[in-house]
Amino acid sequence: MANTETSLKEAATIEGAIGAALVDYTSGMALGTIGGGKELDLNMAAAGNTDVVRAKVRTMEMLGLQEDIEDILITLGTQYHLIRLLKGRGTNGLFLYLALDKNRANLAMARHQLKKIEAELDV
Amino acid sequence: MSRAAVSPMLVRLAAEKATGALLRDHGTLYLVDGRVVHAESPAAPGVDVLLTTGGRLPREGWDEAVDRAGAHRAVGRFLVDSGRLHDGELEICHLGAVFDAAFFALSPTSGPTRFRYGVGHWFGTVRPVSAEAVERETVRRRELLDAVWPYAAVDTSPVVPRPAAPGQTVGARQRALLAAADGERTPAELARLLGRPAFHTLLDVRRLAAAGLVETPLAPEPEPGPVPPPLSATLPVADPDIALLRRLRDALEAHL
Repeated sequence: MANTETSLKEAATIEGAIGAALVDYTSGMALGTIGGGKELDLNMAAAGNTDVVRAKVRTMEMLGLQEDIEDILITLGTQYHLIRLLKGRGTNGLFLYLALDKNRANLAMARHQLKKIEAELDV
Repeated sequence: MSRAAVSPMLVRLAAEKATGALLRDHGTLYLVDGRVVHAESPAAPGVDVLLTTGGRLPREGWDEAVDRAGAHRAVGRFLVDSGRLHDGELEICHLGAVFDAAFFALSPTSGPTRFRYGVGHWFGTVRPVSAEAVERETVRRRELLDAVWPYAAVDTSPVVPRPAAPGQTVGARQRALLAAADGERTPAELARLLGRPAFHTLLDVRRLAAAGLVETPLAPEPEPGPVPPPLSATLPVADPDIALLRRLRDALEAHL
């Protein structure tokens, strides 16, 4: 069974990956990060994208949609940002955040791989 | 941006790769080779509460793990090896509890800070984190609370719900918190009751207070300070503190 480090390492091997983080979306804390470097502050991205997830969860509640969010895709000029919510047992939600280089990434493949990583992490 | 250290002693202990327990007024940090491996605070529910309250782990399962592995300081490891928890699950729950307790342990205090060399914790090491990461996260959390609703009085006062405006909705997690708020329980007591980290509960309470769904108690009148010097026509600083300005704006708006 995977731990957070192996999951993040696997996320980093996804074609075109720039960086990845495992984030607690109540507090906005990154429980672990990989990659990113100078161009992308993953701790900052973790906190900021928490607001994205919270806004979407709230909107769905206002609309009365009784569904879970699987993932959220944000498309930039040169990057994709993928947010995958983990369906854990705990009350405090987590998400995997993955930034991809648009030119090198295969979006369908990346989503599929992220889903697999989620299944293996099994929180 | 450089910031003053949350705890100069922690910085020093990290630099000298110390092993032991850092005792402060509001909690204890456990270090191994200068890295934080565990933290405890009376203000924050422990790993046992987080795991057992939600029903993830039966209380007996926890007690047995402590009985069998506590003496070797390997309770966390035992929970995984005996099949009670998955690896990632233990790690995430424990990390959450460590950062939660550290936030309170590192809160500003005038009390003494002591370090006892060589003292370890019975839970055992799961994933050590750098002292720098713990400090950074603690500062971020303080700033986040104040950005949401700059009234620290709600953190320690009993949570008193207020009626929602027509059409106003809250999420499932905050709904459960409001349902448990009986007008007497403080955020720390609600966190324990619900089996949630204390900081997460503070954040929810501040968000609810900002939305007008929880009472904000009046803070005691501050002592009148010395008369400020007259303002010059131009600000003496090139880069005013945005966070301060934001807090000022929030406070002014709250009195509209």
